Amino acid sequence: MAYQDAFQALADPTRRVIFERLRHGPMPVGKLAEGLTVSRPAVSQHLRVLRHARLVRERQMGTRRLYSVNVDGLADLRAYLDVFWGDALARFKTVAESEENRP
Amino acid sequence: MITNPVTPGIEPVRKSIIVAVTPERAFTVFTQRADAWWPLEGKSMFKERARTLTYEPRVGGEVYETSVDGERGVWGRILAWSPPDSFRMTWHPGRDESTAQELEVRFVAVAGGTRVELEHRGWEKLLDQGPASRADYDGGWIAVLDALVDACARGIA
Repeated sequence: MAYQDAFQALADPTRRVIFERLRHGPMPVGKLAEGLTVSRPAVSQHLRVLRHARLVRERQMGTRRLYSVNVDGLADLRAYLDVFWGDALARFKTVAESEENRP
Repeated sequence: MITNPVTPGIEPVRKSIIVAVTPERAFTVFTQRADAWWPLEGKSMFKERARTLTYEPRVGGEVYETSVDGERGVWGRILAWSPPDSFRMTWHPGRDESTAQELEVRFVAVAGGTRVELEHRGWEKLLDQGPASRADYDGGWIAVLDALVDACARGIA
């Protein structure tokens, strides 16, 4: 579920910082790791989690790998949140009103 | 929309629907017949293995789903319980309790039935994790969530 994956991914403070930095534009892993207290391999691991959650994408630019925010993933999250309660309440209404008519 | 990223004011998701039953009936169906209407097969931790959804009807009670194998998945805890008017609970299905949001549901008598008003709030709880520097967030993460939540709100305006 995209929504749960995104929340799980962003529940980690380091991953939120990485995600925030990418919102300013695409970056290589080395630049992302600057100033962070975690190692570069750890940043790469965090990037894998963010990619799995479809929040971040990876592109090969010549010899460099650039990471950027995955706009499609954010659209998934928004779409999920948008229908989340609407669907549930519509079903609630159907059941509540049919139960009212029970003898 | 966000003017001060240090004290974020993220709009709650608000939805309402009118049902042609009394508030008493609406409250009962919402909380005690939840597995009759909640789309457990899609919106649950155990998916097609989810069988029941239980609200323990008291302050401090848990809201949890149960799988066919008897596993229990906690969604939250009841914070306020005032039938038939309202209830309030923490909301963290499938997530750590430290990321809990809050859900409040009110049942308001109106002509022809009950208006069920639902508010899903506390998005800023997700910002309060751990010791990471606030300055590092640069307000951007808050803006992303705000945009998402605002889109939800517009959809039901």
